[in-house]
Amino acid sequence: MSAAPEGDGAPDVALEEVRRSFGATQALRGVSLAVGRGEVYGLVGPDGAGKTTAIRLMAGLLRADGGRVRMLGEDPTHPRSQVRESLGLVPQRNTLYGDLSVDENLHFFSRLFGLSKEDFAARRERLLDITRLGRFTGRRADALSGGMYKKLALACALLHRPRVLLLDEPTNGVDPVSRRELWELLYTLVHEGMTLVVSTPYMDEAARCHRVGLLYAGELIAEGGPRELARRHGVAASNFEAVFLALVERRNGGRAA
Amino acid sequence: MASSHASRTLGRILAMAGKEVLHIRRDLRTLYLALAMPVLLLVLFGFGISFDVDHLELAVVDQDRTAVSRELVRQVTASEEFVVAWEGTSPEQAVAELRRGRAVAVMVLPRGFSEDVARGGAQVQLLMDGADGNTATQALAKAQALVDVAGRKLAGAALPAPPLEVRVRTLFNPNGRSALFLVPGLAAYLLAIVAVLITALTVAREWERGSMEQLFATPVGRLEIVVGKLLPYLGIGLLQVLLVLTVGAWVFDVPVRGSLVALGLGALLFLVGMLGQGLLISVVTRNQVVATQVATMTSVLPSLLLSGFIFPIENLPLPLQVLSRLIPARYFVATLRGVLLRGNGLDVLWPQLVAMTLFAALMLTVATRRFQRRLD
Repeated sequence: MSAAPEGDGAPDVALEEVRRSFGATQALRGVSLAVGRGEVYGLVGPDGAGKTTAIRLMAGLLRADGGRVRMLGEDPTHPRSQVRESLGLVPQRNTLYGDLSVDENLHFFSRLFGLSKEDFAARRERLLDITRLGRFTGRRADALSGGMYKKLALACALLHRPRVLLLDEPTNGVDPVSRRELWELLYTLVHEGMTLVVSTPYMDEAARCHRVGLLYAGELIAEGGPRELARRHGVAASNFEAVFLALVERRNGGRAA
Repeated sequence: MASSHASRTLGRILAMAGKEVLHIRRDLRTLYLALAMPVLLLVLFGFGISFDVDHLELAVVDQDRTAVSRELVRQVTASEEFVVAWEGTSPEQAVAELRRGRAVAVMVLPRGFSEDVARGGAQVQLLMDGADGNTATQALAKAQALVDVAGRKLAGAALPAPPLEVRVRTLFNPNGRSALFLVPGLAAYLLAIVAVLITALTVAREWERGSMEQLFATPVGRLEIVVGKLLPYLGIGLLQVLLVLTVGAWVFDVPVRGSLVALGLGALLFLVGMLGQGLLISVVTRNQVVATQVATMTSVLPSLLLSGFIFPIENLPLPLQVLSRLIPARYFVATLRGVLLRGNGLDVLWPQLVAMTLFAALMLTVATRRFQRRLD
């Protein structure tokens, strides 16, 4: 993993004291974080920690109850915001069209992003190449394996060369080999200058990020580089689970999660 | 700049529409629901629902038993609107036939009937089975008319001409065929159901399977989603109209006497309104099962009961008459009957078209406003 790049001023992703509730449930309780250009930021936490809510707020799919969300300096929920043209989202659920083939899904999303025929042809070739989906272009999306489906979702989100890519648990339900392939793919994108926010419940994936934010019960209980966080708690960076459990124990006043 | 914005908008609308066409091609059930079902229902309903009263069983109590009384019976049954199901001399036995359901009417010709005819003061008694109100009313009217005509023929020139004679001529549907009256109403009713149902289902499906989340993460606008999704169904709906009218003309001899422009405009406006209603339902419910129920409740019942399809609007209680003004099927039924049967054009039907335009505009505005580009 390469070191986190230096920021060049305003962060690409900025959450300031963001709060969001669903009925009586407080999903996010004043979360602040900033992600710089070209950074891989991991939102790490167990199920129900508020990761999906945070990603959806960044994508402009939800409005915050309080605080401020800025993506590339803009409010993503503003009706006239152009920022959507520069964002890519891979949601947690399988949200592509299952009855459409790999090629038909790619073509449909390329039209929504306004790609010209020539541009689409070039992007399609490149994305099929890096996702290794070239042999499956005629296959229906719902007939793909879990890993291939995620790669297709990633390819659809990358068609328009977004500056910021948001991935909500992209490796969930994916076998170890496909997981490794997906991460390799993500590094390729980072080398091309993309900013990545990845949410994951898998603690071992924290080590793959430049920086991580540990989310627990809607709060960001720690933030920093994975090695730095591990050192602070006297454990190996590969044993990130121990870091997380120690932090949760401290927050709960000595009780583990 | 503006033109590039417009072309991108158009591109996204066409992308949405193209994707919808792919869904329809993959799932032929939608096409069946849209095209085959209305035609099937039209044929079934068209043959099944009939208010025509024909071949009514008549019990004849002929106590006179003369050539004159037999001639009256012959004349009354000559057109086969009534057929003799029982004959005798006892009124009690005839009523028993009525009670058993073997006859719907009893005609009693009393003793001395032929002499009374010659004198000009004959009486014939008609007893009707009132259990089926519609049949009784129609049978009574028919029987009265038949007896009246037959009586005049029997009396011949001996009877002076009445001081006032009413000549009735029914225009547009002179034979009073139910199919002519029902098919236009049925077409509107079926289109209402199918259009609302299909739209409600297809948009609710996007919410249910989560693809709305993926769409919202792209630059596609809510109006582009709405228009793109509805365009293919508008096409299918117009095809439905053509199909239903063709079947109506072919199977039931329903004519097209009026303006095709008025017909086309009416069908387009009605369909846009129905698609808008379906969209609103799906935006509010976001669930296919609930959307189906709400769509059925809000399109089936009003289109059946309050559109004038079966029950004349003038006969409804006042509150329902007022309510029927909010039902677009009412205006489409009126448009269809106007164009098909009365030979009307835009000059007569424009108020119906204005009403449908208002409904469509209201539905699409409310639906688009409720349709937020967010998941909350």
